[in-house]
Amino acid sequence: MSGPVSSLPAGGVARAPLRLRLATDRLAVRILLAVALSMLGAALLIALSGHGPLTAFAAMAVGAAGSAHQIGAALNRTTPYLLAGSGVALCFRAGIINIGAEGQIAVGGIGAVAVALATPAGMPPLLAILAALLGGALAGAAWAAVATAIHIGRHVHEVLATLLLNFVAVLLVQQALAGPLGQFGAGFLQSPLLPRAIWLPRLPLIEAHPGFLIALAVAAALSFVLWRTRFGFALRVAGASRPAAAYAGFSLARLTWGVMLLAGALAGLAGGIEVLGVQRRLIEGFSLGFGFKAVTVALLGALEPLAVVPAALFVGLLEAGALSMQRQIGVPSALVAVIEGLTMMFVLAATVRRA
Amino acid sequence: MPDATVASPLLEMRGIVRSFGAVRANDGIDLDVQAGRILGLLGENGSGKSTLMKVLFGMLPPDAGSIVFRGRPLAGHRPAAAMAAGIAMIHQHFMLIDAMTVVDNVMLGWPEAGRVLRRAAMAARVREASRRFGLDLDPDAPVASLPLGRRQRVEILKAILRDAQLLILDEPTSNLAPSEVAGLLAILRRLRAEGRGIVFITHKMPEVLEVCDEVVVLRAGRVAGRTPVAGASPQQLAEMMVGRSVAAAPAPAAQAPGAVRLSVQGLTAPGLSGVTFALCGGEILGVAGVDGNGQIELAETLAGLRRARGGRITLDGRDITHASAAARVAAGLAYMPADRAHTALVRSMSVAENLMLRDSARPPYARGALLSPAGRRGRARTLMGEYDIRAAGPDTPAGRLSGGNQQKIVVARELDRRPAVLVAHQATWGLDPGATRFVLDRMLALRDGGAAVLYISSELEEVLAIGDRIAVLADGGFAGVVARAAADLPQIGLWMAGRAA
Repeated sequence: MSGPVSSLPAGGVARAPLRLRLATDRLAVRILLAVALSMLGAALLIALSGHGPLTAFAAMAVGAAGSAHQIGAALNRTTPYLLAGSGVALCFRAGIINIGAEGQIAVGGIGAVAVALATPAGMPPLLAILAALLGGALAGAAWAAVATAIHIGRHVHEVLATLLLNFVAVLLVQQALAGPLGQFGAGFLQSPLLPRAIWLPRLPLIEAHPGFLIALAVAAALSFVLWRTRFGFALRVAGASRPAAAYAGFSLARLTWGVMLLAGALAGLAGGIEVLGVQRRLIEGFSLGFGFKAVTVALLGALEPLAVVPAALFVGLLEAGALSMQRQIGVPSALVAVIEGLTMMFVLAATVRRA
Repeated sequence: MPDATVASPLLEMRGIVRSFGAVRANDGIDLDVQAGRILGLLGENGSGKSTLMKVLFGMLPPDAGSIVFRGRPLAGHRPAAAMAAGIAMIHQHFMLIDAMTVVDNVMLGWPEAGRVLRRAAMAARVREASRRFGLDLDPDAPVASLPLGRRQRVEILKAILRDAQLLILDEPTSNLAPSEVAGLLAILRRLRAEGRGIVFITHKMPEVLEVCDEVVVLRAGRVAGRTPVAGASPQQLAEMMVGRSVAAAPAPAAQAPGAVRLSVQGLTAPGLSGVTFALCGGEILGVAGVDGNGQIELAETLAGLRRARGGRITLDGRDITHASAAARVAAGLAYMPADRAHTALVRSMSVAENLMLRDSARPPYARGALLSPAGRRGRARTLMGEYDIRAAGPDTPAGRLSGGNQQKIVVARELDRRPAVLVAHQATWGLDPGATRFVLDRMLALRDGGAAVLYISSELEEVLAIGDRIAVLADGGFAGVVARAAADLPQIGLWMAGRAA
């Protein structure tokens, strides 16, 4: 008697058609209020642990943006969240609850490293980097394709298909490192260091890799896709009402394939950039939690790719500042996880419409 | 359990009034139910049956009127109080938990099951009652494994075990196979023999004649007739159900119809059992019938939202039986769905976006893959003027508009394409008289321009007013088709009741 498994969970986030006009919409105010409340909650916790909340926040701010080096580190941290998060936002807009960025990022890392290690030494660096990033994006898209095929072909709910494949992807990284991509005799599960020519270059002044700029461009492009293309219109209609999308003549299967492959490619690209720009090798667990935070920032950004930019920056800066806060005044950096959790709860409470 | 004698009224409802806004859904209704009798409650959709039963069951407070049940007044009550008093309602959609067993569902929310559930004792009672009434239910069977007819019996079993003296069954046979219907009617007779009262809401006359003791017919919120079934002829009941009042002034007849534009041959699909008709340019075919007899299936199969299992659909000579919804739009098929809220419109989107909903690939809305916001707004302003859509502007969310203006968006979008054929389903449902007139006038204009219109509605009078020919849909097929001039109300009533000519 139950309906098709592929239907949306009742009261799911994507049910609420989140229209966004950041300057005017009350939604923006509500999200900012939610963030403020979560910071207040964090201040309370810091005070309970016997520290001054203001001192702690100051330490965090200095740690995140106190120097060019620290700003660079924070932007690097932000990049995967923004790339994968804006792809997730597009999926959610279409009512497709893609929780698979975590696995798609990890597989993207495998793809990028596999291409990078196979690149002949004489290749021009720019070309080699582009090839490796493309490898990451394709691997991420392929991983998303597995989930999509299960979802569309066998009517398994997309939350299950994407979520469960995340665990498989993490094991796939281990398997790749224990086998073809692993560094022999390293003692850890890691690949050999990538050739220096394939490392992402550093931007002048802030010492970040150019990934953040790519992510910014992607967010802008996705916003354009969402609001100014027929594909984006179809996504928004499908997210608001499945029967209306069928009536309008949009193929739900085609839309799902399109947006899942796009989001998978972006998550894979995020994995590739992380590997080429930060780790410079594939390491077990290099992307742990990235994909879930991508979901957080997508929701925090009200599923609007441009608004995902400040959302990703918020999380990225928070995490970059946390370590310095721990070093300087002894407040554990695990507090950041608490702040992220609180933010998530408040944002959901503020934005999800009651049935 | 006080034994009710057959003569005493079990339920007396007096002067029940209930309004929704300007609509009087119940306008002074009296209803008596005797113990040990089955009362058939008839009426078209929107005649007030459901509202009356919701008032009785405490789901809606009445604006005026009184209810006396088993000699005690019932006022300001909630469903729980109605149940405790001995009224049980068996909804069209069962309120069962599929994953649980029969006995678990029976115990659910029932204080007698005990704080610590007495499962074995309850299972024994289920078995005993099942035997007594011929329900044939295994207490340990999961509900999910039961066919629909058995699930309904679980609902009846719940009512019996909770000692309900009055059972209300809301269209209980609409989802059942014929053999299951016979089983249900047998169970109802046993319940009657035990002295319980039953209200049997249905559209289907054969069932009324077979099992009911008396019939009450509602029309437009009032009692249009009441009669004992014994001695009543089917003719008489059909007339009472359809109403004798003559339809509104008929629309001016079309000129001689043109060439065939839509041809449907032996169309079968789940819910459709071989529909055949031809629709000519300059003609409106009105499709009457009780809701749930294949209307949505016919409309959506024609529109390409459901797959046809067999048969052929041609539009202007082109076979579109297996064409996608988008291809049908391009071929000249317009469709106004009955479900305005979730299918015909996206309420959270703007008026302009709703106007381009099915045309987003065409100019002026798009150039290639890109949308043109300027083209969209310009077109929206034009259409809002032409079709008198009252909204603050093209960017106003469609959901903020009145029902009439929402439907005008649909009319504007579907008619502006200059379609060859329009399929309209419940096109005036819930509209005020002005908006209704507007929609009907636009359809007549479309017809006079040479297009063909299939007008599906459960409002018989409207079908009679607008259709050049009238077809009656019953049980997934056309029971009959007549020219309006030759339409004979009792005959149409019989067709609607599922009797072939």
